[in-house]
Amino acid sequence: MTASRREFVQAGSAALIGLSIKSDRPIAGSFVNDAPQAGHQLRDRAAFPPARRVEKFPVVIVGGGIAGLSAAWRLNRRGFKDFVLLEMNGQAGGNSRWGENDITRYPWAAHYVPVPGPGATYVRELFEELGVLNNGRWEERYLCYSPQERLFLYGRWQEGLEPAIGLTAADRDQFQRLDDVMATFRAGRHFTIPMEQGLSPLTADLDRVSFRDWLRGRGLDSRLLHWYMDYCCRDDFGALASQTSAWAGIHYFASREHEDKGTLTWPEGNGWIVRQLMERVGSFVRADRMAHRIARRGSGHSVFAGDTEYQCEFVIFAAPTFLAPYLVEDFGPLHDFEYSPWLTANLTLERLPASYGDNSTWDNVVMDSPTLGYVDAMHQSVRTHVGRTVWTFYWALADGSAAQNRQLLLTRDWSDWKDAILHDLERVHPDIRTCVSRIDIMRIGHAMARPAVGAIFSPDRRRLANARGRLVLANADLSGFSIFEEAQFRGVRAAEYVLGAVGSGHR
Amino acid sequence: MDILLFLSVLLIAACGLIYELIAGTLASYLLGDSVLQFSTIIGCYLFAMGVGSALSRHIHRGLAYRFVLIELALGVVGGFSSALLFLAFGYAQGFEPLLYLTVIIIGVLVGLEIPLLMRIVRERYDFRDAVAHVLTFDYLGALVASLLFPILLVPHLGLVRSAMLFGMINVAVALWSTFLFAGELAAKRSLRAGCVVALCALGIGLAGAKRISDAADDSIYADEIILARDTPYQHIVLTRFKDDIRLFLSSHLQFSSRDEYRYHEALVHPGLSSVPTPRSVLVLGGGDGLAVREILKYPQVERITLVDLDPEMTRLFSTHPMLTTINQESLRSPRLRVTNADAFPWVDENRDSFDFIAIDFPDPTNYSLGKLYTTAFYTAAARHLSAQGLMVVQSTSPMFARDSFWCVVETLKQAGLRTYPYHVYVPSFGEWGFVLASKREFTPPQSVPAGLRFVTVQGIPAFFQFPPDMAPVPMPANRLNDQVLVRAYYRDWKDISH
Repeated sequence: MTASRREFVQAGSAALIGLSIKSDRPIAGSFVNDAPQAGHQLRDRAAFPPARRVEKFPVVIVGGGIAGLSAAWRLNRRGFKDFVLLEMNGQAGGNSRWGENDITRYPWAAHYVPVPGPGATYVRELFEELGVLNNGRWEERYLCYSPQERLFLYGRWQEGLEPAIGLTAADRDQFQRLDDVMATFRAGRHFTIPMEQGLSPLTADLDRVSFRDWLRGRGLDSRLLHWYMDYCCRDDFGALASQTSAWAGIHYFASREHEDKGTLTWPEGNGWIVRQLMERVGSFVRADRMAHRIARRGSGHSVFAGDTEYQCEFVIFAAPTFLAPYLVEDFGPLHDFEYSPWLTANLTLERLPASYGDNSTWDNVVMDSPTLGYVDAMHQSVRTHVGRTVWTFYWALADGSAAQNRQLLLTRDWSDWKDAILHDLERVHPDIRTCVSRIDIMRIGHAMARPAVGAIFSPDRRRLANARGRLVLANADLSGFSIFEEAQFRGVRAAEYVLGAVGSGHR
Repeated sequence: MDILLFLSVLLIAACGLIYELIAGTLASYLLGDSVLQFSTIIGCYLFAMGVGSALSRHIHRGLAYRFVLIELALGVVGGFSSALLFLAFGYAQGFEPLLYLTVIIIGVLVGLEIPLLMRIVRERYDFRDAVAHVLTFDYLGALVASLLFPILLVPHLGLVRSAMLFGMINVAVALWSTFLFAGELAAKRSLRAGCVVALCALGIGLAGAKRISDAADDSIYADEIILARDTPYQHIVLTRFKDDIRLFLSSHLQFSSRDEYRYHEALVHPGLSSVPTPRSVLVLGGGDGLAVREILKYPQVERITLVDLDPEMTRLFSTHPMLTTINQESLRSPRLRVTNADAFPWVDENRDSFDFIAIDFPDPTNYSLGKLYTTAFYTAAARHLSAQGLMVVQSTSPMFARDSFWCVVETLKQAGLRTYPYHVYVPSFGEWGFVLASKREFTPPQSVPAGLRFVTVQGIPAFFQFPPDMAPVPMPANRLNDQVLVRAYYRDWKDISH
């Protein structure tokens, strides 16, 4: 009762303030899903309490992101139900986590999957099971609705993200040449999803140079083209083109079909896939269970999480690989694995800005902003009238060193980031402060694997990605970059391997 | 002193005439037939003035005090009259009694003011001079008002704000009179306080009152706007020219009362008459109740469900006398259930089955409305069709928006339906197109309800013939992820408007 009375008084005074002065609305919010503290306990090798209980499973999956959930999905689908998945956060999903308020569900990070090509068989298999792919047709409601993307440049919005206005003849020529080069790479079939399928030493040279230098080396120096390449690298890798291996930059363009078949997306982004997977394997998932030590035990392993020792024969280590040296006994040092720090924010809008325009667009990007713009969660709704909505704001802290940017993430408080985000949006929506009622911010220090120069053909990466034993690694970062398809591929493949090993030698 | 006194006479005369002109103009806008409206309003007003003059003989004492009170009352009643009447027109029934009541109150008050004034100044002037001066300035004021009204006030201020401005002038005269007749007045303080309060109220009204619609809006509409309403969903505007009432939603014409019967008969009867035993009907969009009016002509229909997004639309069309005349009170039918909801989510969530579905949405002018013309939407809508069910879709003009029309046809086909496109001529729209769609074969009806003005059994087959200039063009289907229809519609209409 007291709470409701307080709310009533607050609402009343808010109404009075609204009547008396025309001020920006107060904006609530906080950091959410904060994980740095738990992670730093691992890094600092803090003392964890000794195990009080022992549980035994043939298989333990560590990490409940897409890789771990996909491994669980595969095991379960093959009728193998004697396993457990340990997730450090309260909510499974990793980079595909999602949230919900009274308006809509919304993503916390990964928010789409490009329509997978014929090579991505595991993804297609999953999507057929989920009704996303029906008899060869992609479900219309899950494809991104029109209009998909827009870019703000020269004081106006254009459709699509590749700059199309204000190009000189030289710019156009360079975009065309880049298109042609990518078409050649595409035809060569060395750039595939999953990347292991087509990976060939013939392309190793491309991993020794940055994408930026590779472009310049081919005489591609248009400012607009470089902005766009930087944008793409920031979007997929959280890095600038100068920090990205040319191999990865080319993979971004050459790994997918040329004709755009669209993008699969949902209001909660890839959180929708997480929800579907959780419906199937949620009973195996133990949330708020951070594994803090993995030790050999006989022919198998013991995974210590909380006050429990999970004794098992096989571990599928689907957590980010950079954690392995801190968790797994005798793992040894790790080379060539770099990660980009990210910040995402979900903004609750009580109304759309006056400057918004007539047509709600899914992905909204502003040229020369250090951020990646925002995605409208209500866009993928069949409603014709949208009053309130949620925008997911993406900011890969790419400029400068990753370590410094991680420090920045930790030291700046919520209010600083809130203002930085609003300031960025004010470039295109001057009245944004009068529309937003809440901004929740998620900080991820190690959000995405960064395919720096040398990362793809790194001996460490190739060794770990294909290592087979009683502990199998499965995170997307073993591909050099964090995309849904790679995570799902590695999770399913690890499950397949474990099923084979359990079946042949141990049952 | 003298000149100030006679200037007051001029001003109050102008005010009185302005109120009368505003009432007459407003009645002509809203009710049509300006000759009738002006005659009856002038008649009422003059008669009420006579009543006022007659009543003046019953006032014996405190002439100046009562004169100030009358001016104050006139300022308030006259000043707010126009705003009040506009509001009443939109929200309440019994607009006409209120109109004449207002005119009579103003007339009586104006009728009182001159006799009282003459008696007040009687002591200061010779009777002959007093009569001559007061009446001269009275008629001069009328001239000023009758020139100002059409030249300056209506075009620049509009009716609502003109009334408020002259209400303020009227109250100003009242305030000023407290000084002019200071000698004869008791309770000057409270009178002056009353005047200041009234001035403030009218001033706030003047500053806050929007014109009934924005000036920019006015230029879009050829006819007088008689009702304008901003809802969270759209901008509703009704215009009138003589007996033609037109509805615009967000600047797009929805119907003209002169020929809407052609549109709505064509929307409903070719399909509904061919359903063997129609019991339940669904109308999506169509909050004006005009499609429902046609559907109610089938006694076998037991249940009609109308889904319209905007509650203000269905409220207006079920309560406003002018609009319920057009839809014959269809929205009040006991056979009808009105649901105010967004159509697509409603279609997804509802599980009822219908023998006939009429889809009457605004044209696909943007990507939001375009969602209601997609394969996904038609697939979801078709799930509501009974075994004998038929669906009809308003699908823009096959003449002016040929690509768009055939795109709708293709979209229905891709949603797995058989399609039967047809078209009719609606003068205010031009050639207009519809598509019948169903899972079974459609055969034109053998009978239609009695009393139709446009659709006949013999005429229906001709609707389905398309001359070469409207013949099919190959178009892709409109999908949520690739809304070709919105782009085609934009191209189509751009081509003919420039």
